[in-house]
This record gives sequence, structure tokens and C-alpha cells, in this order.
Amino acid sequence: MINRLFRPLKEGFRGVIRHGAMSLSSATAVTLTLIIVSLFLIFTVNVNQMTEGMEQTVTISVQIDHDHESAEQEDQLAMEIKAIEGVGSVTYYTKDEEFQFYLDSFEDEETKEVFEPFRDDNPMHDAFYIEVTDGTQLEEIAKKIEELDGVHKVAFGGQSAVQLISMLRTIRIAGGVLALALSLLAVFLIQNTIKLTILARADEIAIMRNVGAKNGFIRSPFVVEGAMIGALGALIPMAMTYYGYRYLYDVTGGYVVSKMFTLIPAKPFALYASLVLLGLGVLVGLIGSFFSVNKYLRWKR
Amino acid sequence: MIECTHVYKKYRNGTNALYDINLNVAQGEFVYIIGPTGSGKSTLIKLLDGEEIPTKGTVGVIGIDVGKLRHSKVPIYRRNIGVVFQDYRLLPSKTVFENIAYALEVINMKKDLVRRRTREVMNLVGLDDKANSFPNQLSGGQQQRVAIGRAIANRPKLLIADEPTGNLDPAMSDEIMSLLEKINREYGTTVLMVTHDLTLVNKHRKRTIVLEHGHVVADLAEGGYVQHDQ
Repeated sequence: MINRLFRPLKEGFRGVIRHGAMSLSSATAVTLTLIIVSLFLIFTVNVNQMTEGMEQTVTISVQIDHDHESAEQEDQLAMEIKAIEGVGSVTYYTKDEEFQFYLDSFEDEETKEVFEPFRDDNPMHDAFYIEVTDGTQLEEIAKKIEELDGVHKVAFGGQSAVQLISMLRTIRIAGGVLALALSLLAVFLIQNTIKLTILARADEIAIMRNVGAKNGFIRSPFVVEGAMIGALGALIPMAMTYYGYRYLYDVTGGYVVSKMFTLIPAKPFALYASLVLLGLGVLVGLIGSFFSVNKYLRWKR
Repeated sequence: MIECTHVYKKYRNGTNALYDINLNVAQGEFVYIIGPTGSGKSTLIKLLDGEEIPTKGTVGVIGIDVGKLRHSKVPIYRRNIGVVFQDYRLLPSKTVFENIAYALEVINMKKDLVRRRTREVMNLVGLDDKANSFPNQLSGGQQQRVAIGRAIANRPKLLIADEPTGNLDPAMSDEIMSLLEKINREYGTTVLMVTHDLTLVNKHRKRTIVLEHGHVVADLAEGGYVQHDQ
């Protein structure tokens, strides 16, 4: 029983060693494709994260009319805003807090002092800050809020914010499609190389059938061999992804161009990404060899 | 043992290979099948070991209708017969020992039994000292002996040899011949040997079946064959 489980592993391992050159060339094909997949994986996942981050930071600020500052009126307004579809969280700030924010936005003390006298005659408004669940609806939601009673002014990033989000969205979708297409290409390429290594051994498979080996008995070592080649080929891309991404993260300080475009922290991500590559290599090797052997098992009766 | 009744074989490309073959071979017999190239010898072998399916008629071996076997069951049927080919068909990436042992591993024989039986067979075919050699390190005669060893390792009731001496010189051929005779004699294995080596047929006389253009033209129980002009 144990022998039955152990034999394919031993034979598969032996197969990799004895067909060293062949294994190496297949593994190289795996390596090259996985490196490309890795680049797109990192790119897409990061753009994805950036878009999501952007969408969350874009908020709509709603200033409340001076004649609507009673607690009931503000509660009423908050209720109405929350009822609008697409509205996430609603945060309330008093005009005093708003004034403080405004002051804090200046760095030098002199300017702060210039505005200090206005504290008692506060020109600011009480305000709601609204996060939306879907960045594309930003404009629409802002319009709806504007029509509500007691709203003094609605402000959001404006047209540029909407455009940025839609641009990132396009990049994200394009990157995703490209990554998917490349992964499929990788699968195809790897499967093809494995098919070639097995084609070279079609005779061997026929001989095995000749001496009475059942199909499963023939197939299992080949499948193990394919998985091992996949794993072997994934080693370099894994190391490149793991150390490369950590290096990239350290060098850039964790963001690209501005703080708005933050990278995914290297700590768990680099490891996960390299594990994904290992999984992909093993899986493709396994499936590729499975189907190839099946094909040649049918070659002779 | 072997019962072929009204067997016809026509290949998909239209070639007619065998016409109305009726053949009976009893357990323990040693039979030659001879005939010129294209007479249907190889087709007959392929029908017997399940590689081809007869167009008409039934091919029966040890009570199994070989032509009706499912693809996945063919290897299991082959455990009952040993086949030796002209081109040896050894696994190139396995050593002599592993090649012979493989035929035993596929029937899930226990490891220590596999080892013991493999040693036994290597001794029988006279290759004790070649256990760790790979096929490409051996001479043709040695490779053929490995192939015979592999074919008889699990004690099949029938041994089919397709031109086993085709690639060997006369001295080697004699050696292989005596090995096959020994197997036939000591194990009682039925041996079916396809050949076109007439010297061999005349020297070691056995029942001889002559094929020509897909027909059985002679079945000589006393053996020997004199070539005649057509």
C-alpha cells in the first residue's frame, strides 16, 4: 500500500534525474513564463489596490447652511444622505472642528495668527464627510445631495477625481485581462514543452503497455515528473519575486510618484505572490503531463 | 491455448493482411510461423497480443476473446503472455535489472519477491553480471536476452517471439534459440516464434506454419521447410 503511493514519487524523481537535459529545458520554459506572469501579477494586484485606495479616499464634503444648524435638522439631513444609494460612511464635524482643520493646514505660525481672530466669528459651516462605496457614482451622488434641504455647498475632487478613478479602472481591467491572457499563454507553453518531453518517450509508454502496465501505473510517475519540473522551474521566479518585490518596496519607500499610489506592503505579499507562482508551476506541470500521457496512452492499443 | 477461427484482417488503409485464418495451438507446443515479408506474420502477432482487432472472426488466447478487449483491459490481458520483439523494446532509461523487474512491478508483486525473481530470470538468460547496465551498453544478443527475461519473468503461459533473431548473427541466433527451447521445455511455456530464418527452422525442427499473402499455405507438424519457387 505504502509502496503504491511511494512508487510514483520515486519513479517521477528518477525520471527527472535520468532525463536531466530534457527536464532542464522544460523547467527553463516554465521559468521564463513564470517570470512574465510574476511581473503582471505584481503590477495588476498593485494597481488594483491603488484604485481601491483612491476610491476610498475620495470623499464628498457637504457644508450645512447656517440656518440649518439645529441638532434635529442636522440629524434629519444625515438620515436623508444615508438613504441615498452608494453612500458609505457619513462623518460629522462641527464648524469649530472645521476651523481647527483649516488652521492646521497652515504650517507657519504667522498665518495661523492672522486667522485666529475669526475663531469667535466662525465663517465655517458644520459639515458631513461622505465616503462612497463606488467611485464611479461620485458625481451622481454629489448632485443628489446638493438638491437636499439645508445643504449649503457640496464639494468633491471634481472632474479630475472622477477621471483619475476611471483611468485607474481601465488600467486595472487592462492589466487583469493581460495577466489572464499571459497566464493562459504560460499554461499553453509549459504544457507544450512537457508534451514534447513525453512525445520523446511515446515508445516508452507503448512498451510499458506491452509488458502489462495499467494506464494509471504508467501515468502516475509522469504526472509526478511534470509537477516536479513545474516546481523546479518556479524556483527562480519565486526568488526573484520574493526578493525583488521587497527590494522594490524598500527603494521606493512603499509608493510610486505620490503617497496616493501606495504599494502593497512587502511583508506578506511577496511571500504570497511567490507561493502563487509555485502553485501555478506545479499545477500546470501536473495537468500538462496528465493530458499528454493520456494522449500517448491511446497511441497504441 | 490459441484458437483462431475465420480471422480476417483488413487495415484501414485498405491493405488486406489476413484471410480466413484458422489456427489451433495446444499448451506446451513450440511453433514457427514463417513466410516472406508482407505475408501477414506481424499482423497475426499483433492480433494475438491485442494490438490490432480482427476485422472478422475471433482470436482466442487462453479462453479470452482478444479482439473484444477494452483499451484499458489490454495490458491486463498481456500479463498472461510474454512478447519478444525484433527491436527488443527495452526501456532505455532503466537498467537491465529494472527492465526485468518492471514486468513484475506492474502486477503488484511484493518488492522482495520481485528482487528474487528478477535475479532468477537474469541467471536463466545468462546476464547475472549486467544488472546495472543500461540497454545501450549491451550487444544485440544481450539486449534480446533481457527482453526474453522480461517476457518470461511473470511465468506467462504463452511466449510470442516476433523475429527474435532478426538482428543477430547465426551464433547469437543459436544461443537465443536454445534459450527459447529451454523455456519451452522447463516451464512448459507455449512458444510461438515468427521468423524468416530458414536455416534455423531446418536446424531446430518444430511444427511450422507457413503464411503467404495472408493465407495459411502449410502447417507441417514434423517441421522443416524447403523453399520453393512460386
